[in-house]
Amino acid sequence: MKSNLGLVFFPAFDWMISPTHPERQERLLYTRDQLLEEGLFDLEQIREYKPQLAEISDLQRVHIGIPAISRLITPAHLVSAGGCITAADSVMSGEVKRSFALVRPPGHHAMRVVHGIRGFCVINIEAIMAAYLRQKYGVRKIAIVDTDVHHGDGTQDIFYHDPDTLYISFHQDGRTLYPGSGFPNEAGSPAALGTNINLPLLPGTGDEGVHRLFDGIIRPILDDFEPEIIINSAGQDNHFSDPLASMSVTAQGYARLADKLKADIAVLEGGYSVEAALPYVNTGIILAMAEMDYSNVIEPDQTGLRRQDDRCNARVDELIRQIGDLWTNRQKLSREALAKCGDTWSRRKNIYYDEEGISEEQVETVHYCKQCNGYLTIQTAAKNTRFGSQSAFIAIVEESTCPVCRQEAYDEALKAKKTAKWQYVFVQDKTKGNIENI
Amino acid sequence: MLLGVDVGGTFTDAVLVNSGMIIKQAKVKTTQEEVLQGILQALDIVLAGSEPSVVSRVVVSSTIVTNALTEGKTEPVFLAVMAGPGMSTKERFPTEPYLADGYVDHRGKIIKSVSVNEKVFAAMSVGKKVAAVSGKFAVRNQKNEQELRIKLKEAGFERIFVGSEISGELNFVRRTNSAYFSAAVYNKFKEFIGQVEDGIRRRGITAQVQILKADGGTIPLAAALEQPVETVFTGPAASVLGIEALDAPAVNAISLDVGGTTTDIAFWSGGFPLLANKGAKIAGYPTAVRAFHMRSIGLGGDSHIRKTAQGFEIGPDRVGPAMAIGGKEPTLSDALIALGCVSFGDVKKAREAMSFLAETDDTVEEIAEKIVLASVTKIEGTIAEMIREWNLQPVYTVNDVIEGTEFVPEKLIGVGGGAPGLIPVLGMKMGLPVEIPAGAMVANAIGAAVSRPTLTATLRVDTTDGYYIIPEAGIREKIQRDFSRSTAEEILSAWLIEQADKWQMKAKNVEVMAYEEFPTIHNYYTTGKIIYLKMQLKPGILHTVTGREVVF
Repeated sequence: MKSNLGLVFFPAFDWMISPTHPERQERLLYTRDQLLEEGLFDLEQIREYKPQLAEISDLQRVHIGIPAISRLITPAHLVSAGGCITAADSVMSGEVKRSFALVRPPGHHAMRVVHGIRGFCVINIEAIMAAYLRQKYGVRKIAIVDTDVHHGDGTQDIFYHDPDTLYISFHQDGRTLYPGSGFPNEAGSPAALGTNINLPLLPGTGDEGVHRLFDGIIRPILDDFEPEIIINSAGQDNHFSDPLASMSVTAQGYARLADKLKADIAVLEGGYSVEAALPYVNTGIILAMAEMDYSNVIEPDQTGLRRQDDRCNARVDELIRQIGDLWTNRQKLSREALAKCGDTWSRRKNIYYDEEGISEEQVETVHYCKQCNGYLTIQTAAKNTRFGSQSAFIAIVEESTCPVCRQEAYDEALKAKKTAKWQYVFVQDKTKGNIENI
Repeated sequence: MLLGVDVGGTFTDAVLVNSGMIIKQAKVKTTQEEVLQGILQALDIVLAGSEPSVVSRVVVSSTIVTNALTEGKTEPVFLAVMAGPGMSTKERFPTEPYLADGYVDHRGKIIKSVSVNEKVFAAMSVGKKVAAVSGKFAVRNQKNEQELRIKLKEAGFERIFVGSEISGELNFVRRTNSAYFSAAVYNKFKEFIGQVEDGIRRRGITAQVQILKADGGTIPLAAALEQPVETVFTGPAASVLGIEALDAPAVNAISLDVGGTTTDIAFWSGGFPLLANKGAKIAGYPTAVRAFHMRSIGLGGDSHIRKTAQGFEIGPDRVGPAMAIGGKEPTLSDALIALGCVSFGDVKKAREAMSFLAETDDTVEEIAEKIVLASVTKIEGTIAEMIREWNLQPVYTVNDVIEGTEFVPEKLIGVGGGAPGLIPVLGMKMGLPVEIPAGAMVANAIGAAVSRPTLTATLRVDTTDGYYIIPEAGIREKIQRDFSRSTAEEILSAWLIEQADKWQMKAKNVEVMAYEEFPTIHNYYTTGKIIYLKMQLKPGILHTVTGREVVF
């Protein structure tokens, strides 16, 4: 019998950032206990999978690590990325209807260029999975719906220029929470304008507001985009008991969201109320994804739950209108932006790595081409990394890059090498996951 | 001397073992209607000429519980469950449960005390004499379960089984089902062991009588009454122990016990049979009953052979005996006899059986070979599934992933009547060497005779909340903050040894099966720790046995 849900459970009991850090060994201990006690692993609707180990090339389809991604990760990262790949395979092979990679360490704050750990993340496990889906199964249109309370700035960074990846994130307003980004005007670079959707919510927003937002704008956009695969970055820190954020979503709220979203693959992200929320939210999501009754999954202690303020819905309604306009007009807006910028489009970023105190300055340039997807160049310089100050020039191509662009990308890399301004000069082949040291 | 008795589907075997040598053995037909009769018959054969006083221990392995449970010949049980919030309990238990209010959370905190709807309670308990009680997270706090037990006792139930006493491990559904099944077979089991003990005593044997459990350990009859469900599936367990006694493989191996009705497959590593990742399934319901990683498939010497469009289909129904020994329909044994793989019965009749199945101009040998190949292919498929299942052990740490638990067999071991014919063919197909140990014909009884007594218990410490709990013992004690692994081990092994003494089980070798320790953190400060410990009296065999071939 085909199971409804493939479940990859990897709690990484031996991985932590530090013993009392939110990302500590026992983060999923109580969740494990709850899932075991409920007997979830015995259900025929759920098929268990063991995570595989990801290859460095899987990581390098997305990331350029400075000096090398292999020097920045721990073995646990290869398991959590590998767990996502296992989850993807279970769905694509037809063994299960959908899957959930309940794994850690998390990934949605990891950007394309990696100098260290930021927002508890080193590599972006959803992005690695998306790249794998494209490479191995030829999937083109992917939607990533990020239900973590923090803006997934890493995922946004990686897919900012990709019109085939729709990234939708709702989160607590960046003016009140890490990482401080995720506003509606961050809508994608000109060729991908409108496919990066940010929905910043007021602190205190609960089940009511989140579902109003989902029904009012997320569902319609998803239906319109028609993705081949929906990925859920299933962070759980919108929960009312989360110690790092100030929202009011319940386990029921999350489970109903999973039920409505019907993601093909969900991946755990944040969520740090390890005792009061995670056991129940995960049970709810698993049951909902397995198409089972989740109506009785209720936190035993709801004393911290507050009804949401009226202003919360007002913000939701404003977002529905504003993003609705953006979505409707996105093609027109994209054409106008492309016409305005000419052959290239650049952005300058200052990126702070909270965990290690690294500050990075980055200039990213998209080179457009009428024959192909063009190519990307990145100049990066970072201070205070574990390797000291380091800098790199990176040119990024893919399999479908036309010969002219490919030549240009290599020329740029060689030119950068000649200036002797950069410690490293790399050319990344995104399709192969190969990084060439120039 | 050790006396072992194994009641199988076809034969009841008995064996008398002394200092690792088989002194005497017997094989009689299992008396289906009255199992006891066969047991006593076999006993009389092996004891003939010996003083009853030479017997120092009797171990019985019987299908009585297995048959009662798998055939549903059990009595109605009042099942009282406290599920609290969480997943629906619908269709998860073998009977409609009475849902009482009351809930404990994962840290063992009582969120809701027990309360009972008297009307529903009364209506559902009508006509039931035995009961089972189970609560979610009761292994972290048994108070609600205990209170509900008292309530049931007051309601007049003659025997009440409690989920958290069966196993201290997490899995509320498995504990509930275990308690249910224990209750469902309780009276039948009680009657059976009463008769067995009586019969044995009447033969002048004064030694302790024990019964085999699914995990290959033994337990005194009286102690078995505390948890009858644990004596399910003892036949396969006995077979595994028999192999361990006769010829434990040093390498990763697969053993196959080819009986009349079924073939029991087990995995071996480092000289020991592997225990399953999860408890046994009974009548389709998962339980907390610890058992070997085994599968029993409906394929044996007496399996019916049918011709289908896809080829030959073997079993799962049994028609035996073989036509070669006077049966009416062709069986797998006939194919093996026709090929000369085994030698019993009338070869001519076996060849005749094969020609009944002929359609084209296949020779008798060709037909027999096809049948054997189909059988072997079926076994191979089951082995592949078992390997996937084994490899799916939970991975909680990076090390679990990197180290892996992949099981790669290096050898096949065949026991039971059909093994000499079938297993060499399987070995050829799988490219593995095959061994058929001597004495294999009564391996099960040998296994029963020499198996060790076992007990398992768990202990959980929560220093933040200041308590430890041993669910199997119903113990919950307050503790000081500094509580170490060694203290935990001392407490739990002391309890296990005390239990063993209580039942006069000669307990040795208390070992740690699982240990986990986590700090508890509150607002970035370490507030204490959680320890989980599981220990056991090590199962296995008392000593090895030298087999000898006996012709029946």
